[in-house]
Amino acid sequence: MNALFKTLFGSLRTLVVTGLSLLLALLALHSPIPALAGLVLPVALLASVYHLARH
Amino acid sequence: MSDFGVIAETFLGASVEWVEAFTIVLAVSLTIGWRRAAAAAAAALSVLAVMTLFSTVLLSLIADLAWLQGIIGLFLVLFGVRWLGKSIARAAGLKALHDELAEFAALRASPAAADHRAAWLLAFNGTLLEGLEVWLIVIALGVQTHHTDISAAAALAALLTVIAAGAILHRPLARVPENAIKFLVGGVVLSFGTFWLLAALGYAWPLGEEALPLLAAFYLLGALGLVALLKTQPRPAGARR
Repeated sequence: MNALFKTLFGSLRTLVVTGLSLLLALLALHSPIPALAGLVLPVALLASVYHLARH
Repeated sequence: MSDFGVIAETFLGASVEWVEAFTIVLAVSLTIGWRRAAAAAAAALSVLAVMTLFSTVLLSLIADLAWLQGIIGLFLVLFGVRWLGKSIARAAGLKALHDELAEFAALRASPAAADHRAAWLLAFNGTLLEGLEVWLIVIALGVQTHHTDISAAAALAALLTVIAAGAILHRPLARVPENAIKFLVGGVVLSFGTFWLLAALGYAWPLGEEALPLLAAFYLLGALGLVALLKTQPRPAGARR
């Protein structure tokens, strides 16, 4: 069951960094400049990838 | 996304997973014989086939496209960041490259491989877990583009290719450039995930689907930059070799 969860969702760290990236994108989407969300999410996800690569 | 894109993406992603499953089945076959090992793998593949059929029908019943895009986009993002992160760590030397021969030797030495029932379960679970990622790619790329049949056929073609190569070589497929494939597939899958997830949240991409190649270029070039950056940095304390 643990392996199944890990295969589908990854580690807790993956869930946390992806969740934070999504949160940032949502904030950008509801900001006065919603077009920023298209930049914020890719940059935040690349930062997440960097974090996962280092850990 | 074009049919070729679906086929190439699914074929490459599935090949990596099938190679890993093949190593497990091959190691187990030395204990319980190739017929029983193949039967265990076939049982796992049958489960995956039923899952693919069931999820395709289930997802096709969802009328709200944004909801569907959001779910699939999230899974693709989770999958993409994992694959890209792992392949960057390996390319930068923070993590050892996946070695099929070492994996094969470790499996042969494990107590489970010596016990017939445990060995059968090892082949079944190994194929099922590796195949789950294939299922995810097939469903995510297939349902969204209404080409589940094409993506499933590409995954099947990848499986047959790996089986054929394995049958000819009679040993683990150690020469498959797994990390390069994971790097490429991870970047492209992450691009699709980003595109669909944000679109589901109501974001209108200025260039429409034309934004997809730009996203892929951003992630892949960014990932190459991260590999170069990580190579120059001291290794973190928790880094695994």
